[in-house]
Amino acid sequence: MRAALLLLLVACSPAAAQAEDAKAAVAQARTLLAQDRPRDAIAALQGQDASDPAVALALGVAHYHAGDAVEAVALLRPAVDALPEGSTERREAAQVLGLALYLAGRIADAVPWLEATRAWAGSNLELLQILGTAYIETRQPDKAREVLARAYEVAPETAPAHLLAAQMMIRLQQEALAQAELEKAVAKDPRLPQAHFLLGQLALFRGRFEEATTFTRKELELNPGNNLAWSQLGDIFVRQQKWDQAVAALQRSLWLSPFYSAPYILLGRAYTKQGQLAPAEAMLRRAIEYDPNNKQAHYLLGQLLQQAGRIEEARKELEIAERLQGAAGR
Amino acid sequence: MSRFLALVAGALVAAAAGGDWRVRLVDVAAEAGLTQPSVYGGLERKRFIIETNGAGVAWIDYDNDGWSDALVLSGTQLQEGTRQERAWPPGEAPSNRLYRNQHDGSFRDVTDVAGLRRTGWASAVCAGDYDNDGWLDLFITYHGQNVLYRNRAGRFEDVTAAAGLATSGTRWGSGCSFLDYDRDGKLDLFVANYLVLDLKTAQEPGEGVNCLWKGIPVNCGPKGLKTDTSLLYHNEGDGRFRDVSEASGVASVKGRYAMTAAGFDADADGWIDIYVACDSTAAILFRNNRDGSFTDVAVASGAALSEFGNEQAGMGLGVLDFDGDGRLDLFKTHFADDIPALYRNLGRGQFEDVAMAAGLAVQNRFVQWGAGGADLDNDGRADLFYATGNVYPEIEALLPHYPHRSPKIVFRNLGDSRFDDVSDSSGPGASAAHSSRGVAFGDYDNDGDLDVLVMNMNERPSLLRNDYSGGNGWLSLQLEGTKSNRAGIGATVVVTAGGRREARAVLSQSSYYSHDDLRLHFGLGLASAAERVEVRWPSGAVDVLQVVPAGRPRTVREGESPALPAMRPTS
Repeated sequence: MRAALLLLLVACSPAAAQAEDAKAAVAQARTLLAQDRPRDAIAALQGQDASDPAVALALGVAHYHAGDAVEAVALLRPAVDALPEGSTERREAAQVLGLALYLAGRIADAVPWLEATRAWAGSNLELLQILGTAYIETRQPDKAREVLARAYEVAPETAPAHLLAAQMMIRLQQEALAQAELEKAVAKDPRLPQAHFLLGQLALFRGRFEEATTFTRKELELNPGNNLAWSQLGDIFVRQQKWDQAVAALQRSLWLSPFYSAPYILLGRAYTKQGQLAPAEAMLRRAIEYDPNNKQAHYLLGQLLQQAGRIEEARKELEIAERLQGAAGR
Repeated sequence: MSRFLALVAGALVAAAAGGDWRVRLVDVAAEAGLTQPSVYGGLERKRFIIETNGAGVAWIDYDNDGWSDALVLSGTQLQEGTRQERAWPPGEAPSNRLYRNQHDGSFRDVTDVAGLRRTGWASAVCAGDYDNDGWLDLFITYHGQNVLYRNRAGRFEDVTAAAGLATSGTRWGSGCSFLDYDRDGKLDLFVANYLVLDLKTAQEPGEGVNCLWKGIPVNCGPKGLKTDTSLLYHNEGDGRFRDVSEASGVASVKGRYAMTAAGFDADADGWIDIYVACDSTAAILFRNNRDGSFTDVAVASGAALSEFGNEQAGMGLGVLDFDGDGRLDLFKTHFADDIPALYRNLGRGQFEDVAMAAGLAVQNRFVQWGAGGADLDNDGRADLFYATGNVYPEIEALLPHYPHRSPKIVFRNLGDSRFDDVSDSSGPGASAAHSSRGVAFGDYDNDGDLDVLVMNMNERPSLLRNDYSGGNGWLSLQLEGTKSNRAGIGATVVVTAGGRREARAVLSQSSYYSHDDLRLHFGLGLASAAERVEVRWPSGAVDVLQVVPAGRPRTVREGESPALPAMRPTS
């Protein structure tokens, strides 16, 4: 009797009511998150005690999905330790914390949490991709290659794995790491497609045109049907002002695949420099057709139209080019 | 010119263009007495962007003795672990330094007697005789209050408040230039602002996506930080300036991280325009509308973006005529992984980036700063020089490809609109590694070749004496305006010699936040005289001088030149 009364008292106490309220709010937030409504989930949790690990977890996950990685980190970091060891909630907190730290730019801090997540989500592709990326950005090329190889279903010590890691490193502007991986790739398999193409791309980035030409031609020896390699060769020639050679290479690229905007842009530039404004305009307009938000195509078309005295049309194209400028420089 | 003379001139050109590169730059700063370091933020780690940009230098003849004196700006530091400026023990606070030229290759620190001691985050210096009294005045920008120094016969007086230039709040002054935009003969003042930075709330390195470089946590920005607008002040003629930023349209250009600013006649219409190199955003070219207003025409003019229409991180700026067509071209420096822009002036206010065609793509490891088109070997063709140095000292340990301290880069003008990288053969002063920023060009020892003054972060400056050993001639011209401003700032001079032409402008600021010797230096190759010197004054007047002998500095006075025969004003 006394025990039943005590239970009744506890159940009716303000603390118990608060706990029930929090539980309900978390449940509602979970429902809203499942409906991809993170902002509403945050609103549903408003007023709840964020020192409650369950509330902090739900709120952290909601902030993560709402794109506020910094706030997500602030909520999830204390929540992880407070959640029971081995629980699903703790795993979720660790997983989202790793992702949030990555998105917040705290990549080195993210790595241990992403690594921990691998223990229970080792085959999750998104996790492998992000962990591989994080390893590259923290300059751990061997670990990056191992994780990415798993994500792309190749053996980690093979030439294709080195190539794959290099491709990702170039994407992340880690050119020195990429160069080393590519050299290992061609050492293991000198006839590996794409490796010489990427070496040519790195040489072009460094302004070493002769080296870039040699690598790109090597790629084309292995695969003359590589339209991107022909486009890259054309790019090298454009930078060297070798207009006839550029046009020949770029035309080959387009005959192989007419749906890629870069060769059209480069052809537009080459024709413009040769004073052939009509074909140049046609090429640049084709580039815009395939890639309407390409600022380079709009800019070069604007310049060409200006050169042709079509000032109003030029102005419009240059305005678009300016509007499309985004993150650049540093 | 007769066929024979033309052949001779052609032979002279060929002789001057070929041969060895006889430029040897030697850093003589220490023995010359330029010994004080420019303190600027942390040494091996920089937490905030305020610590990274550094400052400019200037060659100014502040005492009118005919010898260039050296001004070296300095910043300060943050108290370790705080966001407060460091409190310096008495007598140890860093300061801008003025070194007086002793006429024997050495300098004496005259900072205090000249009235220029000041501690703060100095950015840029621009010079001009705003009161037309014959003494060169200075404007120095800061994170905080910019300062106008009036030169009273060799002593500087802070007249900022009296001139109406005191500001409320904290803005980050960057580039500046004195220029006469309304042709009234009085120098007005343009001031750029870099960005809005509140140190109290600034993010720490790595605290966001704009605080990483290649995955490494670094100081944040400029991306992610709020941009600011530029200022234009009209010289009222009574020692005061009036803010006309809004009325002139200058304040309407937004969304730029503005840096170095140069005022010159970009479209050769006789009115001074303003070009501003902008970090991580399109450059600005304020076209003078001839009615007191300006319009940004940079994108349409082809001088805002790269050859393929991409934004670049504009830092430094050279105004030169690299192809000898008598038009003023632009040379703009950028961040690492990018190459400088070389904008060829096509006429009618149009430019074209020809950097790749010119052979400048061979260097892109270093962050590029102070720059100019200086004819280092006096062959009549502007060579390219720029200083380098990274803004993230901490990355070189992880990415050795991007060193914190790096060399100066020198490109020799080959005469066919192409350049050859001669950095490794330009002497120990060029190859020495520093984290450099501002650069100024001038012939400090009056020996007929251009020397270079360089600001180095947290080190003493470099004084790169040019020990040029060839036999090419030179001409040094100092302008004196009568209707135009006294220092001739904004004038364009075109010299014809040995069958070649070269244009240069008298600038209040260029390079990176710096000011060159106001005497315009022209190499003449093997010619013994300039055949023709044309001066286009900012007033709109044009003077033409015939046959000006090489090897001597000359003063050209607007509308008259009794010392120079055969001069005839043409308009």
